[in-house]
Amino acid sequence: MVSPARVSERRLSIPNNPITGILLAIPGYFVGVWLGTLFGLADDQNTGVILGYVFATVLFLAGVGFLNYPLERLFGWRVTPISDPDENRGIGRFFRLSLDHKVIGIQYLVTILVMLLFGGIGAMLIRTSLLVPDASITPAGNYLPLIGLHSVMMIFITSAVIVGPFGNYLVPLMIGARRMAFPRLEALSFWVVPPAAVILAASILWGGFQTGWTGYPPLSEQAGQGMDSYIVGFGLIAVALVTSGVNMLATIIGLRAPGMTWTRLPMFVWGIFTTSILGLLAAPVLAAALMMLALDRTVNTSFFLASNGGSNYLWENLFWFFGHPEVYIFILPAFGIIMEIVPHFARKPLWGYRTGVVGLFGVALLSWFVWQHHLFVSGIAPVLRPFYMLSTELISIPTGIIFLVTLGTLWRARVWFTVPMLFCLGFLFNFLIGGISGVYLSDVPTDVTLHGSYFSMAHFHYTIMGGEIFALMAAAYYWLPKMTGKMLSPTIGRIHFWAMFIAFNSTFFPLFLAGLLNMPRRVATYDPALVGLNRWVTISAYFLFASMVLFAGNLIYSWFFVSKPALANPWHARSLEWQVPTPVPARNFDRVPVIVAGPYDYGIPNARPVADLGGMVGATGGG
Amino acid sequence: MAVRTAGYEQPGATAEAALDARLVAVGTWLFLAAQIFFFAAWWFAFFYLRALNNNQAWRANDAAPPSKGYGAVVLVLALLTAATYFVGSRQSTRSLLFRLLTPVALVFGIATCLFQGYEMWHLGFGLTDGGYPSVFTGMTAAWLLQFVFTTAWLGSIVLQTGPAGDTILRRRPAASFAWVLLFLAAIGVVNYILLYLVA
Repeated sequence: MVSPARVSERRLSIPNNPITGILLAIPGYFVGVWLGTLFGLADDQNTGVILGYVFATVLFLAGVGFLNYPLERLFGWRVTPISDPDENRGIGRFFRLSLDHKVIGIQYLVTILVMLLFGGIGAMLIRTSLLVPDASITPAGNYLPLIGLHSVMMIFITSAVIVGPFGNYLVPLMIGARRMAFPRLEALSFWVVPPAAVILAASILWGGFQTGWTGYPPLSEQAGQGMDSYIVGFGLIAVALVTSGVNMLATIIGLRAPGMTWTRLPMFVWGIFTTSILGLLAAPVLAAALMMLALDRTVNTSFFLASNGGSNYLWENLFWFFGHPEVYIFILPAFGIIMEIVPHFARKPLWGYRTGVVGLFGVALLSWFVWQHHLFVSGIAPVLRPFYMLSTELISIPTGIIFLVTLGTLWRARVWFTVPMLFCLGFLFNFLIGGISGVYLSDVPTDVTLHGSYFSMAHFHYTIMGGEIFALMAAAYYWLPKMTGKMLSPTIGRIHFWAMFIAFNSTFFPLFLAGLLNMPRRVATYDPALVGLNRWVTISAYFLFASMVLFAGNLIYSWFFVSKPALANPWHARSLEWQVPTPVPARNFDRVPVIVAGPYDYGIPNARPVADLGGMVGATGGG
Repeated sequence: MAVRTAGYEQPGATAEAALDARLVAVGTWLFLAAQIFFFAAWWFAFFYLRALNNNQAWRANDAAPPSKGYGAVVLVLALLTAATYFVGSRQSTRSLLFRLLTPVALVFGIATCLFQGYEMWHLGFGLTDGGYPSVFTGMTAAWLLQFVFTTAWLGSIVLQTGPAGDTILRRRPAASFAWVLLFLAAIGVVNYILLYLVA
């Protein structure tokens, strides 16, 4: 018989915080570079840079405290149990590894806002360079790296901007759970994001990368070391998507309170559920593709080199097999937000709850069958075009269902025009334009004409910024009072909405016209005849940026100058997260709540409160 | 002790442990679903590049698969690792059989990693010899990397079998882990068929 190993009470004694992480990451990078130089089979620099980033990330995570658990296990020491959420309400908990989903939500929010600032500055630099048609402000050699940095940073952000802050903070509250299923995974999904952003930004030191967010070979194979930042940074985001997906899905499947049946699940949770399925299954394909690209760049394999048995179409297929579900990873939580918020302010039950859920799943399912529409102009087999054209057009049906559910809820409602509601209505307007222009682009002849033009660029900005970011703003004005305990100024909020709505449409609608006039995207120069149009767009973009600054100003003004405490339920909403006190207690609920009614039973006489909370803040009735 | 309120049992310590076990089981299956997509990307690369045979360079310079026999040895070791641990994990973690079989599985696991690692350094073809060498290297490296981490986790399970060890205190996660090993072994079978027999 093998004698059982004795379990030691020893602990790792390194102080775990981000400072330790950074102090370990810096030498870790140089160790990785050294090892890459030592063992690099082909291009020492690429091997070294990639290994350097990987070592730096692992050691950063070790410094933050992520390796304690696996190392304790491997050394046979007593494993530190997951402790109760931190009762310490001090600000310090936001600057260290926390396993409290509410702290992680706030950590995500702040990080994403900082990244959004950098991505937005990148957009302003792009628009500034387009004030003139001859690339005299930004040389062509710098323009593409600028596009690449802006696009990938924004993709990082939009992958996590709703699921990260709001999903992590709210899902347990909305389903009646006292924690997440896997707090360590949840924390990991956050703590890989800052290294991903730093590594991506470090590409500037290597001259950036010229491929945009799609990373097409052979350009990505030939690019300098900036491309290595793309590979490792995007790889870390893939890790975040998988870990977040496992955690969210397991939480929603396994931790729903008694009585929280699938048909009582809030629509926001359905949005997170469907997007988590996509993230969980799509991101591994990206990880595999990035691994292939890294091997091509380091040990000279030839996955994507046609001259040596590879194919650049392999990348295009793998990338878009991830990339098209990815755009629905952005938008499904936004749909969830809209269908969640609208009934609360329409003061009506959600019209067609089950239909709305079917719509979300319809979008999620169809998103796997459309990726080749990105290859319409890349030499796709002609016989495949009709199928992918049809499958892409079909997506408009479940999307239309979601619109129908929302509009049906608004029909004959006495709408309470709060700031979150304004952003919801803005979303509907913008996404309608984005969606309809998408139907045009799904059509092969139109796509062949417009694919490389600003029409396509305007389309996806209407869906992502006009859709997801407007939904984000709706969520921020709606839920931040619960998350931060402070109300945001509604006056500044209204000014922010109108400024952002007008500036957004003034910026991006003319770009449809620019596209129809054949202005190519990703090119630093353009026809001088379009200079007036471009200047209009650039000035509008400055106003759009200013509207975002106004939002930041509202946060600072409301939190630090006015500091008006938020009521537990300022919107008189029925859903569960509003039935707990503000600030939310460490364990969310005094005891596991028992759900007895749905969250959208507004205007129904004698509607039951949503849950039996056992003496916490009173639950809202039919209202 | 459970407290009865509003007609529902509030979870006590036992219920929390059962809940934790269920979450780990659900999480394991979700993780494996993600893994299927990861390896499917490699299989897609295999079939895609093999079918295209661009520039007649699927197997340039007559690059032939490494020894089928040696590959079979690695595969059998991986299967033994998974099977041994699976049988052990069906027993109580306090049982003699579990304590016997998990270290044996660990030895098989370490052997798998060493044998596969040795093969990776002695492929018999260059990495630049076309599509097949690329796919072989990438697919095998991806599998080996995961097998190394899985074996390390298996080692931690063995080391946590003391009276207050995590394996003893949280029995059912150790049982769920068996599915990860079985899954990787199954992936190994598919990879073997593709890389040694179909290629």
